[in-house]
Amino acid sequence: MSALYRTLLRGLATRGRLLALGALAVLAVLLAVLVRVRAGVDRPDAAFSVVDGYGVSVLVPIVSLVFASAALGDAAEDGTLVYLWLRPVARWRLALAAAGAALTISLPLAVLPVVVAAAVAGVGARLVAGALVGALVAAVAYTAVFCGLGLRVRRALAWGLAYLVIWEQAVARVAKGAARVSISVSTRTITARIARHFPLPRNAMSMPVAVFVPCAAALIAVVLTTRSLQRGEVA
Amino acid sequence: MTATITVRDVGKWFGSVVALSGVSFEIGPGVTALLGPNGAGKSTLFRIMCGLANPSQGAVRILGQDPRANPSLTRHIGIAPQQEALFEWQTALEFVTLAAQLHGVGGPVQAAAAALATVEMDPRDPRPLSTYSKGMRQRVKVAQAIVHNPTVLVLDEPLEGLDPRQRLGAISFFRALGEQGRTVVVSSHVLDEVERFGSRVLVIAQGRLVAEGDFHRIRDLMDDRPRLLRVGTDQPARVAAGLLVSGVVQGARVVRGTVEVETSDAPAFRRAVASVAREAGARLTEVVPLDEDLESVFAYLLRGR
Repeated sequence: MSALYRTLLRGLATRGRLLALGALAVLAVLLAVLVRVRAGVDRPDAAFSVVDGYGVSVLVPIVSLVFASAALGDAAEDGTLVYLWLRPVARWRLALAAAGAALTISLPLAVLPVVVAAAVAGVGARLVAGALVGALVAAVAYTAVFCGLGLRVRRALAWGLAYLVIWEQAVARVAKGAARVSISVSTRTITARIARHFPLPRNAMSMPVAVFVPCAAALIAVVLTTRSLQRGEVA
Repeated sequence: MTATITVRDVGKWFGSVVALSGVSFEIGPGVTALLGPNGAGKSTLFRIMCGLANPSQGAVRILGQDPRANPSLTRHIGIAPQQEALFEWQTALEFVTLAAQLHGVGGPVQAAAAALATVEMDPRDPRPLSTYSKGMRQRVKVAQAIVHNPTVLVLDEPLEGLDPRQRLGAISFFRALGEQGRTVVVSSHVLDEVERFGSRVLVIAQGRLVAEGDFHRIRDLMDDRPRLLRVGTDQPARVAAGLLVSGVVQGARVVRGTVEVETSDAPAFRRAVASVAREAGARLTEVVPLDEDLESVFAYLLRGR
């Protein structure tokens, strides 16, 4: 497992990706600094907007998409997956190693900046805790989902972006039924409830449901990725 | 022969494109060469044999088991695929060590170093694979395929990119593996390479198995076909007439100062052409086959099925 994990991790950590997404991460902290130093703004509301509106809703999904979709997707596309697949390794181990590798990068590049931004904004420990749990749960769920997407479809980045913009940011925010299966709505709910920020996001759910939805999405995604590795063809 | 690989009525199609059609054969220990032009379906067949792809019809068994259904069977299979991409940031030793680790080989680094040494690569080379030439990559691919001592070794065009000396070394190595009782399947589109394997040959063209047997049988089949040759001479009309009269050619025509002939008996033509030229008082400058390329050979074999 560790050899698989290390190989996949090294393949993901390209300079281009780290620099581009590192810039997005720095932006989260800069926005928080701006909230702190600017007079005349409702600081708790503005700080929550940075954490929720940018961190949990944009930064975490984008970083997770870029790294998770490449974790197996790059290898499937360039043909190197054969060097991992044609080995006596359980397919679920391969799926978990890929998700673990992507998550290893998402944690410092997405979750940590959101937590730092919450701390820098200086509105209390509750927002920091909400940012930590919300961003962490979102990173785990999105990573699992996008790992599978990268393996199953070509141009996974484009499909993933379309999913984030159309489903998570548009449909799930207006349609209550869609919100019940939305990772974004559930993780924003978690962030807001822990931070005790009111009003809650539109279509917010109860805490147990908000925790259950992303966990179930992650579990189902890993199972489907494993199934794809078992039944799909390797170039 | 005890079959280690059984391919039964295998077909593979992608939409309306048929990559393989009704291919059946059995392979036992020793070296077997899969000969065919580019695009014949060799790589597709290899991918199905190793379980990397599903056949659209038919079945494959490796050591009596379905390679798609049983990942642990990969312990017994080594493959050097045709595609060039490797984990470019790794050194050769890291790449082969990864294969050894995933196969659960004890002492993976030592095993990887030994496998690299076998293919004449320096395990201490600190350069990343991205800096390697095609020939070096081929050898690294072979090293990762043999590092766990597999029973079945599938090598897709393993001689491509190697220099003549390395080719000779690789061929003797594959033959030695075959003599040890391993099943080695090697694909190639170069007839002379296949001859050197001294092996059983399967010929595949347009997704079909068009001939099989030892190399000499395949060579005979290829030699028996009608041949087109160009004869360079200072007296083309006289030589053309002489060859027609001698009966060793079915047709002859003068084209841009040379003679193009068609013969169904190439050895008899080779024996007669010099004396015909001498009798015509002509000087021969060349005798060149015009359809020696493998595409025309395979097309002929395909017509004969």
